[in-house]
Amino acid sequence: MRKLRTAIVAAVVLVVSAIAGSPASAQKPGGTLVQITQPEPPNLAPYISTSAPISQVTAKIYDGLLEYGFDLKPKPSLAESWQISPDGKTVAFKLRKDVKFHDGKPLTAADVKFTIMEVLKKVHPRGINTFRDVTDVETPDDFTAVFKLANAAPYMLAALSGYESPILPKHVFGQGDIKTHPNANQPIGTGPFKFVEWRRGELVRLDKNPDYWRKGLPYLDRIVVRFINDEATRTAALEKGEAHVAGFGAVPYNDAKKLAQLPSIEVTTKGYEMISPVVELLINTKKAPLDNQKVRQAMAYAVDRQFVIDNIWFGFGKPATGLISSNFAPSGLYTAEVTKYQVPDGIERANKLLDEAGFPRKDGGIRFEIVHDITPYGPEWQRFGEVVQQQLAKVGIKATLRYEDVATWLKRIYSDYDFALTSNFLYNLPDPVLGVHRAIHGKLIRQGTVFVNGSQWSDPRADELMDKATIEPDAEKRAEYYREVQKIAVAASPIIWVFELNFPTVINKRYKDVIASPLGIYANFATAWRE
Amino acid sequence: MGAARLLRYLLRRILQAIPVVLGVVVLNFLLLQLAPGDAATVLAGEAGGAPAEYIQQLRERFGLDKPVPVQLAVYVKNILVLDLGYSFRNASPVLPLILGRLWPTLLLMGTTLVLSVGGGVLLGLFAAVWVRSWKDHVISLLAIISYAMPLFWIGLMLILLFSIKLDWLPTSGMEDAAAFYEGWERAADIAKHLILPAVTLSLFYIALYARLMRATMLDQRGLDYVTTARAKGLAERQITIRHVVRNALLPVVTVAGVQVGGLLGGSVVVESVFAWPGLGQLAFQSLFARDLNLLLGIFFISSCLVVVVNIIVDIVYILLDPRIRVG
Repeated sequence: MRKLRTAIVAAVVLVVSAIAGSPASAQKPGGTLVQITQPEPPNLAPYISTSAPISQVTAKIYDGLLEYGFDLKPKPSLAESWQISPDGKTVAFKLRKDVKFHDGKPLTAADVKFTIMEVLKKVHPRGINTFRDVTDVETPDDFTAVFKLANAAPYMLAALSGYESPILPKHVFGQGDIKTHPNANQPIGTGPFKFVEWRRGELVRLDKNPDYWRKGLPYLDRIVVRFINDEATRTAALEKGEAHVAGFGAVPYNDAKKLAQLPSIEVTTKGYEMISPVVELLINTKKAPLDNQKVRQAMAYAVDRQFVIDNIWFGFGKPATGLISSNFAPSGLYTAEVTKYQVPDGIERANKLLDEAGFPRKDGGIRFEIVHDITPYGPEWQRFGEVVQQQLAKVGIKATLRYEDVATWLKRIYSDYDFALTSNFLYNLPDPVLGVHRAIHGKLIRQGTVFVNGSQWSDPRADELMDKATIEPDAEKRAEYYREVQKIAVAASPIIWVFELNFPTVINKRYKDVIASPLGIYANFATAWRE
Repeated sequence: MGAARLLRYLLRRILQAIPVVLGVVVLNFLLLQLAPGDAATVLAGEAGGAPAEYIQQLRERFGLDKPVPVQLAVYVKNILVLDLGYSFRNASPVLPLILGRLWPTLLLMGTTLVLSVGGGVLLGLFAAVWVRSWKDHVISLLAIISYAMPLFWIGLMLILLFSIKLDWLPTSGMEDAAAFYEGWERAADIAKHLILPAVTLSLFYIALYARLMRATMLDQRGLDYVTTARAKGLAERQITIRHVVRNALLPVVTVAGVQVGGLLGGSVVVESVFAWPGLGQLAFQSLFARDLNLLLGIFFISSCLVVVVNIIVDIVYILLDPRIRVG
């Protein structure tokens, strides 16, 4: 009897250690993953629209030339290697030779050339900017694509994922008008999952691509992306196990905390390192009294960042020091050596600055009144507005709240400049050229263009530094330029950078390795598997 | 009354409806111009920002750079040949978008209509028969409660109870998202998914019809023809079923006709809570995206539906009450 028991124990130990010792052997094929994406994407054409939900679906269908590790360094994908000339003006990509599109046609350099020159550079909202210096893509042979640039473009190498720059088949999208192409909602890519159907208002079905060029992948048989409009219902579907993954605020922050208590669910904030959303308060620097730098600094001192994170975003954040997210610390682009507004005596400093600026407290302790517009993206923003209102009241600024729908709000802020202070959030994206310049560069004070420099502030020195950093191939020099930009902009305080938002991603624990890239849900899920 | 006469009547009603629908289209078009912001800004906003060239490109593509009267003329001209246009936001022609969402809406509407009229009429009838007894009070109380509770809240509570706690029914959606059933299995699956949203949406209307039915039943019972029938020696049961109910149904049919219009709009909340892929949600999203072609298309289809339902209601009147004639 005892012998038997010992044998059993030994066997169990053996099995357990076998599983623990070689995690790779535990990954098994099969299973359907149900992902919740909110809201439903308007279309499945990531080459023409960067509307946030689209790529949560299409990144599984379209590969890019490159992928990225958590260190934000590029890794091979469709391009197996690449070479950059010393002046940075030539980037040569060697393509894999065994890649097929979902319709069976092989991928060649002609597809890359077509995608960059005819599509992304012309009609992609961010591609127009990313590839503006690409003058040509040369294709000396079927599997080499040489990017010719007018200037070095160090940011471009960070923007070649399937999320940011999906590679399209020329034989499909080269026919007809790209802007109203019939395949907009019938995507054909080279990715691990093939598009099967889209039932509007309900779901998108993606099935495993059996001919995927990474042999043995993907593990999952199917991904279904569901659209559930009501946040409480989304939480219920995750709790019941009808859906298995949701990110980007699809689950309310308090519900994410609650779901994390369940044994079947894990909540992570990883997978946003190449997105880096920063919550901010945008100030109209052309409007008195906010044209006064001291007033703007005082407001920056008055906002208690930690309070906002803890009480409104349920801890899913980290105080921001400036315009560049601390996710850029590894590459040296980020610095904390700027004017620090999150200080214990913030209120006293703010009061002092406002007195100096010539706005003494009058009746009822009020110095002046402003209207605070709230970004129309959900209830937490409304509560954020209420907190800002209270905190500004402490220093004698009376703010009235205004809440409008998205179209009205966008028009007010970016077309009419008819505002004083508004909440907002902006993605830093994989490089400051793509995500940060737009907020503070003088050239980007463009009336009518949304999510660019709405505060209308600019500084000649900062502009010059950003222009230099754009075309500087040397990483250390670039980092230096950006550190100085941060000092200048944070001191002038045209925007109150409040906190770095860490979106929670809710994952059913039966599914492993779901978040395997700094792009998180915007990655292709090729290595995700079900227990 | 001959079939030819009925047909002529139908034809005339349909011809009369055309200017009505056109009027609705023009009015909607003009009303929507009042909403600030346009589709190009929203699209660019959803994209997290875009260069000015891009926004200008969008406006040209959408035809938003043309003056409003020109846009209206183009739209009306297209509507006359039933071309509902293209939704740029959805990268798809409008008609298939709407048709794809129409049948889930009709399924939900139809089920709700049957449940609510059936349930409401029965409950109202019983309440009237058992008037002022405890059963009547219970029915009235339940009616008031379900009448007063907000739809979304009822929906969420039903989900919590029947899906999460009891694990009997799915939380949301129209079909099992992982299974992709075919044939009868699919029908059964859809039926299972239909229960909670249909019940939620019905509760309000059941209450409405129950109260209406009860009140008109009681009204009718005091009228002379009932006394005559009773004097004739008819049994109470026969009087109720053959005479009173038939007359009391007329106002219910009227309200049901109005309800169909309301159901199209009122189901937005229920569709949203249960992730039901119907027209309501589509209309809601396209309004916030300023997707005017799509929105106008939905209005057009809904006004056609309302017109059709009104005609049906009028025909039901004729069947219920021989005194009403087509003229």
